[in-house]
Amino acid sequence: MPCERKPMRYGHSEGHTEVCFDDTGKFIVTCGHDGDVRIWENLDDDDPRFITVGEKAYSLALKNGKLVTANSSNAVQIHTFPDGEPDGILTRFTTNATHVTFNTSGSKVAAGSSDFLVKVVEVSDSSQQKTLRGHEAPVLSVTFDPKGDFLASASCDGSVVVWNIEEQAQVISWPVLQKTNDVSNAKSLCRLAWQPRTAKFLAVPVETKVHLYERESWNHVTTLSDDLLNQPINVAAWSPCGNFLAAASVGGFIIVWDIESKLCVERQKHEKGFTVCGLAWHPSGSQIAYTDTEGCLGLLEGFRASVPTTNTPKVPAGKPERGYEDLFDDEDDDQVMDEGCSDANSPAKKAASGVQADEEDDDDFVIPATGRVKNRGAILDDENSLDSGSLKFGRPKFGDDNDDDADSAVMTAGPLPATLRPVYEGPQPTPPQKAFQPGSTPVHLTHRFMMWNSVGTVRGYNDEQDNAIDVEFHDTAVHHAMHLTNSLGHTMTDVSQEAVLLACASTNELASKIHCLHFSSWDTNKEWMVDLPQGEDARALCLGQGWAAVATSTLIVRLFTIGGVQREIFSLPGAVVCMAGHGEQLLIVYHRGTGFDGEQALGVQLLQFGRKRRQIINGEPLPISQKSYLCWLGFTAEGTPCYVDSEGVVRMLNRSLGFTWTPVCNTRDTCKSKSDHYWVVGVHENPQQLRCIPCKGSRYPPTLPRPAVAILPFKLPLCQTTTEKGQMEEQFWRSVLFHNHYSFLSSSGYEVDEVGQSQSQKEQQELLMKMFALSCKLEREFRCVELAELMTQNVVTLAIRYASKSRRMALAQRLSEIALEKASQIQEEEQEDVTEYSDIRQTSSGRSSYDQTDVREKHHRRQTLEDERSQELEEEEGEREIESEDGVEAPKRLNPFAKVPGSSLEQATPLCE
Amino acid sequence: MDPSEVEFLAEKELVKIIPNFNLDKLYLIGGDLGPFNPGLPLYVPVWLALNLKQRQKCRVVPPDWMDVEKLEEMRELERNAATFTPAPCPYYMELTKLLLNHASDNIPKADEIRTLVKDIWDTRIAKLRLSADSFITQQEAHAKLDNLTLMEINTIRGFLLESLNCMYKLRSNLQPGSSKGPLADY
Repeated sequence: MPCERKPMRYGHSEGHTEVCFDDTGKFIVTCGHDGDVRIWENLDDDDPRFITVGEKAYSLALKNGKLVTANSSNAVQIHTFPDGEPDGILTRFTTNATHVTFNTSGSKVAAGSSDFLVKVVEVSDSSQQKTLRGHEAPVLSVTFDPKGDFLASASCDGSVVVWNIEEQAQVISWPVLQKTNDVSNAKSLCRLAWQPRTAKFLAVPVETKVHLYERESWNHVTTLSDDLLNQPINVAAWSPCGNFLAAASVGGFIIVWDIESKLCVERQKHEKGFTVCGLAWHPSGSQIAYTDTEGCLGLLEGFRASVPTTNTPKVPAGKPERGYEDLFDDEDDDQVMDEGCSDANSPAKKAASGVQADEEDDDDFVIPATGRVKNRGAILDDENSLDSGSLKFGRPKFGDDNDDDADSAVMTAGPLPATLRPVYEGPQPTPPQKAFQPGSTPVHLTHRFMMWNSVGTVRGYNDEQDNAIDVEFHDTAVHHAMHLTNSLGHTMTDVSQEAVLLACASTNELASKIHCLHFSSWDTNKEWMVDLPQGEDARALCLGQGWAAVATSTLIVRLFTIGGVQREIFSLPGAVVCMAGHGEQLLIVYHRGTGFDGEQALGVQLLQFGRKRRQIINGEPLPISQKSYLCWLGFTAEGTPCYVDSEGVVRMLNRSLGFTWTPVCNTRDTCKSKSDHYWVVGVHENPQQLRCIPCKGSRYPPTLPRPAVAILPFKLPLCQTTTEKGQMEEQFWRSVLFHNHYSFLSSSGYEVDEVGQSQSQKEQQELLMKMFALSCKLEREFRCVELAELMTQNVVTLAIRYASKSRRMALAQRLSEIALEKASQIQEEEQEDVTEYSDIRQTSSGRSSYDQTDVREKHHRRQTLEDERSQELEEEEGEREIESEDGVEAPKRLNPFAKVPGSSLEQATPLCE
Repeated sequence: MDPSEVEFLAEKELVKIIPNFNLDKLYLIGGDLGPFNPGLPLYVPVWLALNLKQRQKCRVVPPDWMDVEKLEEMRELERNAATFTPAPCPYYMELTKLLLNHASDNIPKADEIRTLVKDIWDTRIAKLRLSADSFITQQEAHAKLDNLTLMEINTIRGFLLESLNCMYKLRSNLQPGSSKGPLADY
């Protein structure tokens, strides 16, 4: 759709909310159940000013710098705007007011109340009150006649009443609504709306339709409806020009009709389908703000774009609607012009359906005034070739009733100002998500986290006083905190145990720069800087162990050593989204193509730089949740790639299943409220920890107060995890998945925490045995055998014993066959022995992961071999494979990521003072 | 009991810290502590938290109740109630003093918190004195007070017991026929 729906944001606590714009359109003002009125500079305003007006605020109205609110103390009070100073109480009711509204000039306020009364009060002199009595139930809403004579009100007694304010008498009453006893029970808030300026129509939401009543005659002239509206309409609001009517329903639909054509020009659905209870047009008519009963605030922007505009020469292109308003101002004159210029149309028009005749008159008198006759030839063809069905959206404003009319040629031959665009209703391309640094908060914030990872945090400040960067390390043993002035305007950063890498985009004069603070360098030069070539901007960067990588706007990835030597460069197939480094691995996510309908098309590459440089994942699509985008990308502390999408799903690479991605956690499951999120900062496989920062009502944390890290558990989304069986299955596969890193580490030549590995093996085998016992109890012998297949040989022996004890001889028989098979398998492998070693990764990925035991056993053997021969080993990279064929291998490298318990004991023993 | 002894007991309370060093689990008689991961919050006893803080090995996360809004609420509650309301924490006075003295840089609005806690303390002590007064003037044999913290009991204990003893002596001398010597202290 042409108009853009901004994502909802948290505004107030749950409950009824209302929204309006101030006179200039600079601020969005909302009130909510929490009793606050918030003043938003825009939708992204994270720190809106607020005025507390009471315990609860039921309704607000804003005009001429006066903010009128109805609060729970039964008063209607004024605050100054935007200062928020209390400016007295306008009136009081015996119970709370339900709706307040200003008249056009802002001199009077009308308030409807739950005590059945409607009061009209002079703002300047609150003693000048008029009370309108007659409703027999709480008043739902009130609206002023823009010309000031009348006032309309809707009530829970089912009536919509038009009052003569001066005489304080009912003019007419329509019993169109459903009767209820209280506002809280009413199906719809029934917010009435009177067409501004011309004051011609009164819009009344009735069930799923909007009725339009004509002023003075009080006839029901037309009904606006839409197929999508299957739940009652809550709110109706006219655009400031009076040409469009927006309505929002309980089901969260927001529909905008063009009042002349009575056609829907815009349909939007609330992103969660919550009840919309507040709706307001921007004074310029370009935006619609809305709020829902969950307290969230949303915005529809660029609304004008969806309305075919006429581009009248005398009206500035940006504000054509205003142009028409002027035209409506004096009906009589227009009418004269109408008759003078387009006589031919009139008979045809009168033949058109009676109800619509009125609007068509409007059409006509606009035409001569707009006076545009130029490009109608092309338009003619267009209009005739389009069928009415495809005209639903983007209908032209004028001349639309004439499709089937024999006189349409005459009509369109008249000055038809609108250009008809063919309307495309298929999948819409999604704007590709921008490049970002995982672990950073948005760039536009003045105080932001530029990086939060397992090493430290980098905070960026960019306000009037200061443009600076603070680097802090979680472990002060790495380096002391640093404070840098950010004179170059760095926006991207990464921090590792060795260095801090910063980069800024290019400006008119300066090239894009990469700046590295190599604090772990042993010489005296702790810094280096590189300029990127002209026209190339850094987009994403990351640090690994001993190297740095920068992805640029020219789709190139540049590698540097940590000391500043340029290394390989290579091209990416698409624009980079983000990168992450860990040890010798580099993970890159980029745009694979264009996504449609909210989806992102992302691709992923995983490269390994070690002794054997290779690409492990070659640009495969990165699976993310539907209609989500990537939020975080990184490695677990043990070196397994993982990422988080905007739906809060954490996925981890499963190296033992052909490099597939397994969802391991959904952070949204643990959120209390819909607007809460978890901001992931790290993933650990052993112990299984998802480290993240809980953010109340936002996606990312503020820098102050310092957010605290929380730990979430992992949970594979297996079926029926409430049952014992499901639980054990989940535990087993999670354990298998989270111990894959052992085989990866050993295959890339790192030392492995043997104790931890055998412990995890034991844990898995125990779980298998438990599942085995459970299946036995449930008489599922086939399942028992299946489970036994996953067991190691000695656990199978245990299983045989269990089976024979529980007198399942047939089962025991089958199990012993399996045991034999396994024994022979082991023997075979012993013969094959270490030849396989260099390819352990492939082996374990080819087979199921229970092979890990074998791997481990082999490992033990190798260990002894190694001990015997460790003296004579002089390792050389090129010959490594040959050597390993002899059952010899390089001495294990120290794994820098392994937790070495008490490694920093010297600096940090708290107790030995 | 000395106030310092009460403070010593309070130091066993757990408080959340964010360490900036790496250390494996500590096995102590009183229970295991840790492991300490830089940047990852964990609960340790106050004595350890303060020790680490003094050596700049951690940041202290103030307990939930040590928050201006919550304390203001409690102060109002305490002022309006005739009896003692449940204290924010059994060692609120001690913890406030310890944490604010040693880790005030980690606690937002430290000064306001100090004032608020002092207010609560003063209100409670005033109530305590008042109830002791009415206890004595009405010559009751026993009284029951709920929700007192150890420190509060401790502040009044010495004075109250001593004065009761004194009064007992005076009364027993006044009464006719009481020639017995003063009774042993109870």
